[in-house]
Amino acid sequence: MTLTKKDVRKFLSEYKIVALLFIIVIIWAFFGFLTYDSETGTSQFLTTRNFSNLLRQMAITGMLASAMVFVIVAGEIDLSVGSLLGLLGGIAAVADVTYHLPLWQTITLVIVMGLFFGLMVGWLTAYLGIPSFIVTLGGQLVFRGMVLGLTGGITIAPVGPELRYIGQDYLPGWLGNSGGVLLFLVLAALAFWTRINRQKHKLVVPSMTTEVGRLLFAGALILGFLLTLNSYRGVPAPVLILLVILGVFTVIGNKTTFGRHIYAVGSNMEATRLSGVNVAYVKMMVFALMGLMCAFAGLTTTGRLAAGTPSAGMGSELDAIASCFIGGTSMRGGVGSVSGALVGAVIMASLDNGMSMMGIDTFWQQIVKGIILVAAVYMDIVSSGTQRN
Amino acid sequence: MSDYLLEMHDITKDFNGVKAIDGIHLQVRRGECVGLCGENGAGKSTLMKVLSAVYPYGTWSGQILWEGQELKARNIRETEEAGIVIIHQELMMVPHLTVAENIFLGAEPRTRAGFIDYDRMNAEAEKLMARLKMSDINVALPVYNYSGGKQQLVEIAKALNKNAKLLILDEPTSALTTSETKTLLDLVKEFKAHGMACVYISHKLDEVAEIADTVTVIRDGTHIGTQPMAELDTNKIITMMVGREMKNLFLREPHAIGEVVFEAKNITCWDVTNRERKVVDDVSFEIRKGEVLGVAGLVGAGRTELACKLFGCWNGDHEGKVFLDGKEIFVREPRHAVKLGICMVPEDRKRHGIIPLMGVGYNITMSVLKRYTSGGFIQSEVELAEIQNQIIRMKVKTAEPLLPIASLSGGNQQKAVVAKMLLPEPKVLILDEPTRGIDVGAKYEIYKLISELAKQGVAVLMISSEMPEVLGISDRVLVMGEGKLRGNFVNEGLTQEKVLAAAIGQPITEAA
Repeated sequence: MTLTKKDVRKFLSEYKIVALLFIIVIIWAFFGFLTYDSETGTSQFLTTRNFSNLLRQMAITGMLASAMVFVIVAGEIDLSVGSLLGLLGGIAAVADVTYHLPLWQTITLVIVMGLFFGLMVGWLTAYLGIPSFIVTLGGQLVFRGMVLGLTGGITIAPVGPELRYIGQDYLPGWLGNSGGVLLFLVLAALAFWTRINRQKHKLVVPSMTTEVGRLLFAGALILGFLLTLNSYRGVPAPVLILLVILGVFTVIGNKTTFGRHIYAVGSNMEATRLSGVNVAYVKMMVFALMGLMCAFAGLTTTGRLAAGTPSAGMGSELDAIASCFIGGTSMRGGVGSVSGALVGAVIMASLDNGMSMMGIDTFWQQIVKGIILVAAVYMDIVSSGTQRN
Repeated sequence: MSDYLLEMHDITKDFNGVKAIDGIHLQVRRGECVGLCGENGAGKSTLMKVLSAVYPYGTWSGQILWEGQELKARNIRETEEAGIVIIHQELMMVPHLTVAENIFLGAEPRTRAGFIDYDRMNAEAEKLMARLKMSDINVALPVYNYSGGKQQLVEIAKALNKNAKLLILDEPTSALTTSETKTLLDLVKEFKAHGMACVYISHKLDEVAEIADTVTVIRDGTHIGTQPMAELDTNKIITMMVGREMKNLFLREPHAIGEVVFEAKNITCWDVTNRERKVVDDVSFEIRKGEVLGVAGLVGAGRTELACKLFGCWNGDHEGKVFLDGKEIFVREPRHAVKLGICMVPEDRKRHGIIPLMGVGYNITMSVLKRYTSGGFIQSEVELAEIQNQIIRMKVKTAEPLLPIASLSGGNQQKAVVAKMLLPEPKVLILDEPTRGIDVGAKYEIYKLISELAKQGVAVLMISSEMPEVLGISDRVLVMGEGKLRGNFVNEGLTQEKVLAAAIGQPITEAA
C-alpha cells in the first residue's frame, strides 16, 4: 500500500508533464464522447476547427502564463496583469484609432509602456521591499482606473486591418509548413551540436537510437500539429507568437544566467544573495518581462476584438496564475516550467471550450475550474512530499 | 524519602546511533541552585530537552525521579504541570501582546461569559511583577517596549505563574546588560531562599560561581564531575570543561605567510532589532597572505555578525573601515565582496548556504555562472565539465552531478558550498563554523583543504566554536567575547584554557 503510494508520488514528480498531457487526453476524450453526433458520425469537439479555436482562445492566457511562471518561480505573484493587459490594449486602440499611428509605432509604444510599468512594479517590489501581492493588488486598481480614464469608459473601434491581423489572421499553409521544417532542422542541429560538445568534454551522451528517437518524436508532433491546423485555415497568428515566446522563454529559463538566477532566487533568496547574485535586479527584471508579455497580450486582445474595450483582460490574471499552478509550478517558488504552464493553459481552455460547447452555464464552468485549480495544487503537494521526506 | 527534588540517572540519548549524551547524572535539592557547565555542543541543551520532555519519555534511556516518583512525561505541558519550567536563551515572547497577555498566554483567566477577564489578568500580573520587584513595568503595555533584560523577567514571571518548583535558566544573561544581570542573579538568590530549585546553564562562570551551590560539568555528552561550588573555582571548572585529548585530525603543514592582505579597522555592528545594543564592538584586526586566522569565542560573541559585516550582508547598522591590499574597499552587498575576492561560507548552511531545489552542480557554479556563458548563453557542456572537476576535487559524494543538493548529507552539502565559494578564487576566505554538523570524514577533508589553500596564499578567516579545531589549524587566534576583541594570540603553546578564559573575559594564572 505504502509502496504504491510512493510510486505514484515518484511518477508524478518526475513525469509531471506526462501526467498533464495524459489529463488533456482524458479531457478531450471526455468532451469528444459527450459531443458525439451519431448521425454524422463525428464529434463536434474533436474537429480541426475547434482545435484551432481552442488554441486561439488559450493564446492570450498562454502569453501571460509564460511570464507568470517566472514571477511565481522567483517567489512572487502578479495580480495586476489583467488590468495592465487592458491598459496596454487600450493604448494600442487609442494610438491606432484616434491618432492613426502606423503599426510599428503603435507596437513600439505599447511595448515600451509595458516594460515601463513592469519595471515600476518590479522596482517597488525588489528595491523598496513592498510585497508583490500588495504592489500588484494596487496595480490592478491603478491600471484598470487608467484604462477607464483613457477610453472614457467606451469601446474604441474600429482598429485598422494591420492590427487586426495580429489577433485574427492565419498564416498561409506554405509559410506554416516551411516554419515547421525550419524548426525541425534547428532542433536536429542543436541536438547533434550538443552531442559533439558533450563528447568533447568527456561527458556521458545518450545512445544514438535515443537521440534519433527523440527527434523523430518531435518531428511527428510538429507534423501532426501543422497538418491539423492547415486542414482548417492554417496556424493562427497569436498561436505563432505564443510558440515563439515558448521557445524564447524556455531558452531564457535553461540557458541564461538570468534564468538560472530566477530559479535560485525562488528556491532560497538569501543563499543566492550570499553567492554574489544581484537578487533585487533579478526580481525586477522578472516583472519587466511580465510587463512585456502584457504588451503582447494587450496587442493581441485589441487585434482580436478589433477594438479597445475598458473591460479587456478582466480576470485574466487569475487564468494565468491558475495555468501556472495546474502546469506544475510550485507556489513555494523555485520550481516550474514555461511548457508546463502552457499545458496548464490548454487544460483550462479545453474545459472552457468543451463546457461552452455543451451549453453548460458559465457559473458551472467557474465552479469546475476552481475545483480543478485546487486539485492541481494538491497534486503538487502530494508529489513534492517525496522531496521533503 | 529522598531529599532531592529532581534526580536524573544515567540519561542517554542518541540520534540515529550517534550518542548526544551518554550516562549523565544530575541531582537538584529543594532550594538549591545547580550550575550546569560545558562547551558548546557538550550536550547541555539535549539534557534539558530530555528533562522538559521535548524528547518524550521513551525516546531516551535512563531514569528521572521527580519528588521521588518516576517522571514519564510525554510533552512539555506535563512537565510544566509537574513544576519544571525552562526559560530559553532566545526569548519566547509575542512582542505585540502586552506584558500581562504574555504572562498568561495559553492560561488566560476568563469571565463567566467566556471572554478574557482583563481586570483580573492585569491585577495578577501586577502582583507577579511586584514579587519580582518590577513594579515600574506597566503590564498593559506591549512587551516590545521593554529591554531584553525586562523581557527576561517577564519570562520569569510567566514561570512563577505556572507554580514552577524547578526553574531552568538556559544562558539567561547572554543578552543582558551588567545591571540587568545583577537584578536577575539577586532574584534567583531570593527564589532559592524561598525553597525554589534552579538549574543555571551559563558560559559566564563568574555568574555560576556567584549563585550555584553545586556544579555539574559535562563534556562531549559525558558526565565529567559534580562538585560543591565551595570546592571549586572558575579555573577548575574551565579545566574540567576542556580537559580532553587532542585528536590528530589536524594537518598544520608549515607554509609561508606573506604581507598583510586584509585589514579591518574599528568595526562596530549594532543589533538589527535592538538598535542600542552593540553586537560587535570596535574590533580591529589584520590578516596576512597564506595565514589561517582562527576566531574563537562562545556563542553570541559577535563573530558571525563580524563576518557578515565584512561580507556585506549585515542588515543592522554598522561602521568601520576595511582595506584589501592596502586600499579601502566599500562592500555593501555580498556580490561586491565576491567581485573583490572576499568569499564567505556561512554558518547556517540550510538558510544561507544551499539552494535546496537546485542540483549540486548548479549550486557549485552559482557565483561564477557568467564564466561559462558565450554570447549570453550558458555553455552547458563547459559548465558540466567544470562541475565534474569540482565534485572530484572536493570529493562530494553524489549519485548524479545535478541531483538536488537537499538530498545530500550535511557534509557533502558543505563541501559543495565550499566549492561554490572557492570558484571565484578568493584572496580572503571567511569560513563560519565550516565543520558544524558534519561527520569526521568530511571534517578532515575540510581541514586538509584549508591547509592547502593557505599554502596557495589564500588568507583564511575561520570562525569556530570547536576549540580543538581552532587550535589545530590556525596560525593565529582571535578571541571574541561580548562583541569585543579579547585576545589576539600567535598559536604557539596556546592552550584551550587560555583561549576559553579570554573568551569569558577572565584571564587566569599560568598555574591553571
